[in-house]
Amino acid sequence: MSDDPKATTPPDGPEEMSRRNFFIKMGVGSVTVAALGTAAFSCQYLSPNVLYEPSPIVDAGKPDHYPPDSVTLDPQTAIYVVRTAEGFFALSAICTHLGCLTAYKPELGIIACPCHGSKFKTDGVKIEGPAPRPLPWLRMWLSDDGNLMVDRSNAVAIKQLVRV
Amino acid sequence: MANTLDHLAEQVRENRVWRSIFRSGTGASNLHRALFVQQNVFLHLFSVKARKRTLEFSATWYLGALTFGTFLVLVITGVLLMLYYHPSVPQAYADMKDLQFVVSSGVFLRNLHRWSAHAMVFLVFAHMFKVFYRGAYRPPREFNWVIGVVLLLVTLLLSYTGYLLPWDQLAYWAVTVGSNIASAVPVMGSKIRFLMLGGTAVNANALLRFYVLHCVILPFAAILFIAIHFWRIRKDGGIYAGEPATEVKNR
Amino acid sequence: MSDPKDFVAALDSDARKTPRRIAFITKRTSPQVRVKDEDRVMTYPEVFFRTAVAIEVLLIALVVTSLLWDAPLEGLADPMHTPNPAKAPWYFLGLQELLHYFPPVVAGVLIPGLVVMALIIIPYFNINVEAEGLWLRNKSRRLRIFGIVVVIFCVFLAVFDVWVALVPTLIVAGFMLLAALTDPQTAKGFREWLMRKPLSFWIMTWFLVELFVLTAIGTFFRGPGWSWVLPWRA
Repeated sequence: MSDDPKATTPPDGPEEMSRRNFFIKMGVGSVTVAALGTAAFSCQYLSPNVLYEPSPIVDAGKPDHYPPDSVTLDPQTAIYVVRTAEGFFALSAICTHLGCLTAYKPELGIIACPCHGSKFKTDGVKIEGPAPRPLPWLRMWLSDDGNLMVDRSNAVAIKQLVRV
Repeated sequence: MANTLDHLAEQVRENRVWRSIFRSGTGASNLHRALFVQQNVFLHLFSVKARKRTLEFSATWYLGALTFGTFLVLVITGVLLMLYYHPSVPQAYADMKDLQFVVSSGVFLRNLHRWSAHAMVFLVFAHMFKVFYRGAYRPPREFNWVIGVVLLLVTLLLSYTGYLLPWDQLAYWAVTVGSNIASAVPVMGSKIRFLMLGGTAVNANALLRFYVLHCVILPFAAILFIAIHFWRIRKDGGIYAGEPATEVKNR
Repeated sequence: MSDPKDFVAALDSDARKTPRRIAFITKRTSPQVRVKDEDRVMTYPEVFFRTAVAIEVLLIALVVTSLLWDAPLEGLADPMHTPNPAKAPWYFLGLQELLHYFPPVVAGVLIPGLVVMALIIIPYFNINVEAEGLWLRNKSRRLRIFGIVVVIFCVFLAVFDVWVALVPTLIVAGFMLLAALTDPQTAKGFREWLMRKPLSFWIMTWFLVELFVLTAIGTFFRGPGWSWVLPWRA
């Protein structure tokens, strides 16, 4: 069965190309370039350059607002500000299983997720449950006017405390 | 290099997955050319063979095809623009500024949409006049002409509803003038205006109504009537090529 | 495929041969088939590539236009401030020009309504099916009717000061007269072409000219307060 669109033209020799084949290649080539270009520009278009979402940087206020040895949840920004004897650190309050907002249980001294029963210690390490990873520590630092600042987009591997 | 490309292409075409999708195969014979049209869901609206005279540029100036081409451009650019547009007041205007300055290729897509819209209105009028002056509306093609008039109205309505969406001064007052003309219809005028705007003033409700009309209802109507329009061309014996008008006796 | 055969079945067909079709056309069929045999070509590639090229040319023109010229965007909609002039999109400017002379019921509802109705009934009128020159029969009678209609219409337009519509009407009427005064036997060239045109042609041409003139005036020659401006002076 004749499967070749160029069946009626004799095949090209090793060094020559017929005019028809040349134009076919030019045509297919330019359509390919145009298609690739369109695809590239479309991908750029579809990816927004500006997001109307709140900044990932959270101003957690003055350190003195937090009682010693406390775990404070800010539900709006979904972070825990934890104050221990050695210093401050911030945990993400979003459960690493499927994204529910966890809650601090002061009577049990743990952080628990209501959705599927994951439980975490106050340093983020998992006790039990389907969560695959511990609650991440978030980068925290002291601003120039003495406020605790947390960057929710920045999870830190080295668990450093902010000492005040 | 060329031979490896050809070899690659041939391997793709011989592939089992490829052949399960494109079952008729490619080829230079008339059988393959016929199958290419007849076995394709989109193309089988065409007949397998066409009369040679209908292909001449001077016959139609290809205006019908060009109008359909602008329609396709409008649908594609329109859908893409919808991804960055909120039909609420005054967010709509802010989104227009976003498209202009923030979104990659936003200004290009918006321009393309706008100029294609003007082109489509112009081309649909030109197509109508060309069909008239060459007598392509005469029996048995009368009803297709009427479908064409309906399509003209749908095109104008599409353009009009789209005009409001940027929510700028141009849009707002053009629609105000238009809706007041609509209220001049005797007896039902104010009711028509009320339904058109979803209220008594050109406000958020009007914007939303025009948005739904522009993006859903009218395109749906357009596609429906375009399908009928093309179908009727086929049933009327193809594009008119200068035959004398027929007195249809079998009524 | 190992046995040699006396014949070889081939899948090519002769592109020139058009098969004869025999069909029984009964009453009230949907397809309206004509029996004439004509030269036919394969839809793919003939129709396909011609249409593709036409659309590609259009696309290039549109893309170049979009790269060079920006669509307009004025200030945020302000219900408390009407711009002057407040113009409709260009395809409605002809109508807006008429609104200057007639009340909205007439210019906005009646005239467009009549135009749409007239367009729809065009193919159903026998006078349009016969593509015969207007002046080739009953010339004196038709000239009289023509004269009366044109005079009444022009007086009507003049009374309402619709000069923008009056002048094109007179121009088209002038060409119709030129066609009427052409002798069918000795006519040549443009005058002969004019003489052959039927009434439907004249009405549509008048409509086209009016549409063009009114839209052009509404677009270029109207300024603040819908006053008359000369675009090269503004």
